[in-house]
Amino acid sequence: MPQGKPSISKIPAAVQRYGLAVLSVAIALATALLLERYNFRGVEFPLFLMAIAVTVWYAGIGPAILALVLSSLTFNYFFTEPIHTLYVTRSDFPYYVMFILFALLLTWFSAIRRRVERELLQSRDELQREVTVRTQQASLLDLTHDTIFVRDMSDVVTYWNRGAQELYGWAAEEAVGKNSHQLLSTVFPMPIDQIQAELLRTGRWEGELEKTKADGARVVVASRWSLRRDHQERPVAILETNNDITQRKRGEEEVRKLNQELGKRTIELEASNNELEAFAYSISHDLRAPLRHMVGFTELLHKNASSIVDDKGHRYMTMILESAKRMGTLIDDLLAFSRIGRTETRETMVSLEQIVQEIQGEVLQETDGRTINWKVGPLPDLRGDRSMLKLVLVNLVSNAVKFTRTRPQPEIEIGCTEKRKDGVVLFVRDNGVGFDMKYVNKLFGVFQRLHRAEEFEGTGIGLATVQRIIHRHGGRVWAEGLVDSGATFYLSLPTP
Amino acid sequence: MTSLGRILLVEDDPKDTELTLTALEEYNLTNEVVVTADGEQALDYLYCRGKFQTRTNGNPAVLLLDLKLPKVDGLEVLQQVKSDEKLKMIPVVVLTSSREERDMVASYKLGVNAYVVKPVDFHEFVNAIKELGVFWAIINEPPPGSIRKR
Repeated sequence: MPQGKPSISKIPAAVQRYGLAVLSVAIALATALLLERYNFRGVEFPLFLMAIAVTVWYAGIGPAILALVLSSLTFNYFFTEPIHTLYVTRSDFPYYVMFILFALLLTWFSAIRRRVERELLQSRDELQREVTVRTQQASLLDLTHDTIFVRDMSDVVTYWNRGAQELYGWAAEEAVGKNSHQLLSTVFPMPIDQIQAELLRTGRWEGELEKTKADGARVVVASRWSLRRDHQERPVAILETNNDITQRKRGEEEVRKLNQELGKRTIELEASNNELEAFAYSISHDLRAPLRHMVGFTELLHKNASSIVDDKGHRYMTMILESAKRMGTLIDDLLAFSRIGRTETRETMVSLEQIVQEIQGEVLQETDGRTINWKVGPLPDLRGDRSMLKLVLVNLVSNAVKFTRTRPQPEIEIGCTEKRKDGVVLFVRDNGVGFDMKYVNKLFGVFQRLHRAEEFEGTGIGLATVQRIIHRHGGRVWAEGLVDSGATFYLSLPTP
Repeated sequence: MTSLGRILLVEDDPKDTELTLTALEEYNLTNEVVVTADGEQALDYLYCRGKFQTRTNGNPAVLLLDLKLPKVDGLEVLQQVKSDEKLKMIPVVVLTSSREERDMVASYKLGVNAYVVKPVDFHEFVNAIKELGVFWAIINEPPPGSIRKR
């Protein structure tokens, strides 16, 4: 059988193809002549057809026509009477036509077959190229940390990227082919039918889903679904991307809980504030009246019955009056103290130097003629409630005046130790009787006193008031003291 | 002393009433004091109704008003007085135990003429009542139509 495909690739393609035509005809002729010698007759016809067929198959129509022409000529020359001429007898003519028609038919079929094969090969190549591109794209999807997977319309996973593996702990081989909702025990925020309906209507859906990882841990994900349809608009697949928002949800939940707690506390605080308000109001109205009556009628008794009451009686009456007055002062102080917590602060720029000057004038009466050596350093202006801040300094300065009463040369120093961007520290220092640092914690408590009433008068509310006001201003108070060596009170106040 | 205006004292606590009257007595201001024990009575007096139907017409020279009162409280009386064309000219002095800011604010908003906190100290109390009585019943020229004792 003639197999004449030349393997020399340097020869131009056209020469190769036409060469094949010549070669295959030559081989067919040689074979026919050889067989003729052994008295095999009539085989030349199929041999030439075979040569044409081979040519058309491997070299195309042009060479096939050349092969046809060559075959016809050699056939005529070598095998039909008269032999060794190109003369065609009349009786041979149909024979030739048939040969040519048969060869043409063969060529035509072959050409069609070849075209079909070429197209097939072409589309195979295209398909391969596409597969390559797709594979590259798919591996790109694997590069992302986002969780992406594809499932068909019965929710069976067909694609599972690396992000999905990282989030859920299932490898692609484990996940592909399984029902994604079952695999991840998905909990939907609404009936799945509704989700499906929306997906089919709009082509997408997004929402928060709860899923379970391979290790059993629950995750909350922000899920986006996109529907893929084929060219006939039939839904075929769903691409789902998931973002792990578990931490965020946990944070949100915590914030929500804290807010709820805060709301509850605020309500409780409001309620207790209201109660305090009502309490203070009723103290203000109702507790003072009986005191006034006690004082009033004792005074009247004192005045009207002085002739019939002996000295003891007078002393008792004096004690009743003193106690009642003290009670009155306590109530007033307590009310003033509670008012600090209840009233709104009115913030303005306050000049502390001006306040200190005012106070120095006011406490003159309390000094009983003693000369106090004042040292007032430069003091800053700051934002705050003027009347409250004045009350703070009045309390501290009055205390200093009071506790230096026993000193022959009382000294009171008011100054500012630190002046930073975020706040100032003020102090009021005296050389008075001081206090034991052991009791420093009791200093700022309501009604806490470190001295007996006979030594130094007072209700024990002053420093509690100071602390409350400074706390309301966002500051801090503390004290240093030594028995018989004076005391220093510090205030830190924030400056905006 | 040319004339003495009538004082309407609205006070529910008999002890306070007695102390107030005692204080006024010291300065001979008591003979023109009318005492009502709650807000309702005070309004009855001002409108000449109920048990005050037969009283001589005319407004008091001053109304000394406690705030915490049974039935109709002081602020309600104050509001009624200050929103009535015939009564709004009566000077009203709130005389109360409370120094609470909201009472003061409410009173001044309603148009009170003075706000006095009863001092616990008896001498101060007597002094305050005396000054009030002298000022409103004697020194101050009351609006026309007030009852005055010549």
